[in-house]
Amino acid sequence: MNLAQQLINGIVLGHAYALIAIGWTVLLGVARLVNFGHGQMYMLGAFVTWYTVSRLGLPYLVAVPAAMLAGVAVGYVMQRVMLQLTLKQDLVSIMIVTLGFGYVLNGAAALVFGSTGQILETPLSRLDIYWGDLWLTWQDVALVVAAIVFFIVLKYVIDHTAVGRTARMVAEDPPLALLAGINVKKVYLGVFAFEGAAVALAAALVAPRTPILTSMGFDEVIVTFVVVVLGGIGSVLGSYFAGLALGLFTAFFGALVSPAYTTAAAFLVMIAMLVLRPGGFAAAPGSR
Amino acid sequence: MAPALRLALIVAIAAAGLFAPALLGGTGAVYSAAVLIAIFAVMAYGLDMIVSDLGEVSLAHTVFFAIGAYAAAMLATRLGLGPVATLLGAIILAVVAAAILGVVTLRLKEFVFSLVTYAVAVVAMTVAANWEFLGGSDGLRGIPPFTLAPLGLRAETDAQLWPVAYGLLLVTLYLMHAFRRSRLGQAAVMVHLNPRLATMSGIDPKRTRLQIFLLSAPVTAAAGWLYAYQRSFVSADLLETYFLILMLTSVVLVGRRLLLGPLIGVALVQIQEKFFSFGGYVDKIVLGSVLVVVLAFLPGGLVGLGRSLVALGRRRGESVAGSMPDVRTVKD
Repeated sequence: MNLAQQLINGIVLGHAYALIAIGWTVLLGVARLVNFGHGQMYMLGAFVTWYTVSRLGLPYLVAVPAAMLAGVAVGYVMQRVMLQLTLKQDLVSIMIVTLGFGYVLNGAAALVFGSTGQILETPLSRLDIYWGDLWLTWQDVALVVAAIVFFIVLKYVIDHTAVGRTARMVAEDPPLALLAGINVKKVYLGVFAFEGAAVALAAALVAPRTPILTSMGFDEVIVTFVVVVLGGIGSVLGSYFAGLALGLFTAFFGALVSPAYTTAAAFLVMIAMLVLRPGGFAAAPGSR
Repeated sequence: MAPALRLALIVAIAAAGLFAPALLGGTGAVYSAAVLIAIFAVMAYGLDMIVSDLGEVSLAHTVFFAIGAYAAAMLATRLGLGPVATLLGAIILAVVAAAILGVVTLRLKEFVFSLVTYAVAVVAMTVAANWEFLGGSDGLRGIPPFTLAPLGLRAETDAQLWPVAYGLLLVTLYLMHAFRRSRLGQAAVMVHLNPRLATMSGIDPKRTRLQIFLLSAPVTAAAGWLYAYQRSFVSADLLETYFLILMLTSVVLVGRRLLLGPLIGVALVQIQEKFFSFGGYVDKIVLGSVLVVVLAFLPGGLVGLGRSLVALGRRRGESVAGSMPDVRTVKD
């Protein structure tokens, strides 16, 4: 095993994981909502990117916003349908509804895009960088840079802008926010639209690394869970470092032990976290 | 109605149910659908206890279903055991798995509990698909037909398997009925609806949840056990989301805490898929949409919808009948 190569793989994977999970982190931290259709939204983002590039023949730079737009639409529709449940904070029903949406997306994507695997090629994924015996693609570089920029902008928006303040207020106390004249419904719809856009962006950047299938999305969900648990609920910075840690863990586990069981291993890490410090996790906002 | 008469009526209806597939034409397709409805209904009842009574969502019930099926397949093909022994094995394994999962998640509530159970289901699928011991991606083939020599039963076809499936369904229905009247069943509802009152009444919510988890897992596993004989092979596809969505939809479709709710729910979904199918992908969209629509717009399920329609009709009728609303309606 080449240590430096695995380190690079781990860092790239880590940024991919952080980006995949960020929608959920914000959803949970800002709106105290969950989305079990997250993995299927990732799948949809990847397929919209693929369709735009290889079927419509449009440039990758057009495909990325197209995928994000599709993500926004799906997120908005989803939240629109379950708005009453959200206002009642009926998390049990919300979980099942989002799971149902994921299943619908899965069926719809198979109907539209077919059930065969596809390769999502971008102009950057074909450009290799060799550095001694180390290897990565420009797609990997773009992914890391985009993730870092995305996290910096997001952190700034949540902490220092009016939009961020409003969202945080709704998360803290929805009835009070309502009294303060904030349109709570709009915030919920906005947060879900953001979740859709974020996961679609992640898909457009990460999916070129592996073949894509309409049945995929489950590994991404586990990754998201682990990042959210490790990083602390709703913590943007926490989920960045958790993503990075998970990426490194996955790269080394895959190289040293077995690539087939990386998801299972990541899951065991999460269980260990939950058992070792259940109080810390259970006491976090949103886990009521 | 006198209790004896009531019992006789229930027994008569239950006995009549055995002949339902024959009355519906008795073709192979009808028997297949009937067997699958019975098996999937049993599967759904396991989850029904958790969702309807306890008010939480376990997404790991596909794992118990798969454990039941894999236990039957492994014990039958590798050790040559008969259905009774494999059922015992399936139940023991499911209880052990539920105990481990239940203890680990004991302190987790609501969505964290669901999140972990969902993760368990996803990870179980990757393990089942990769572990050679469980047959890997090929699964396990060549499960012998369901045979009970003392009863002279050898089920080569779905028609021959139907009495077994129906029997399992009746046992499950009885179990659900007894559970809802039991102390544990009452405790579950109290924990669900009023946790503080439950604690004050000396009920430990965590203990109750663990007990119900241990009771519900073998029910779903028993369904998996029979499904293995029905299909004569098992593979990692048992852990697919389909079974989870099917379970959840059947539990919420008709209405919660109704004894026959999940059975009717499963039957509606299976009849649509077997006899009025629009193709696999569209069926997926239909099933997922039904789940979404029921939860988002019909919190009381079809029964709740029926009730509000009846109430609406009655109110209309009353307002037409007399311009002065009577005292009762004002009070409503």
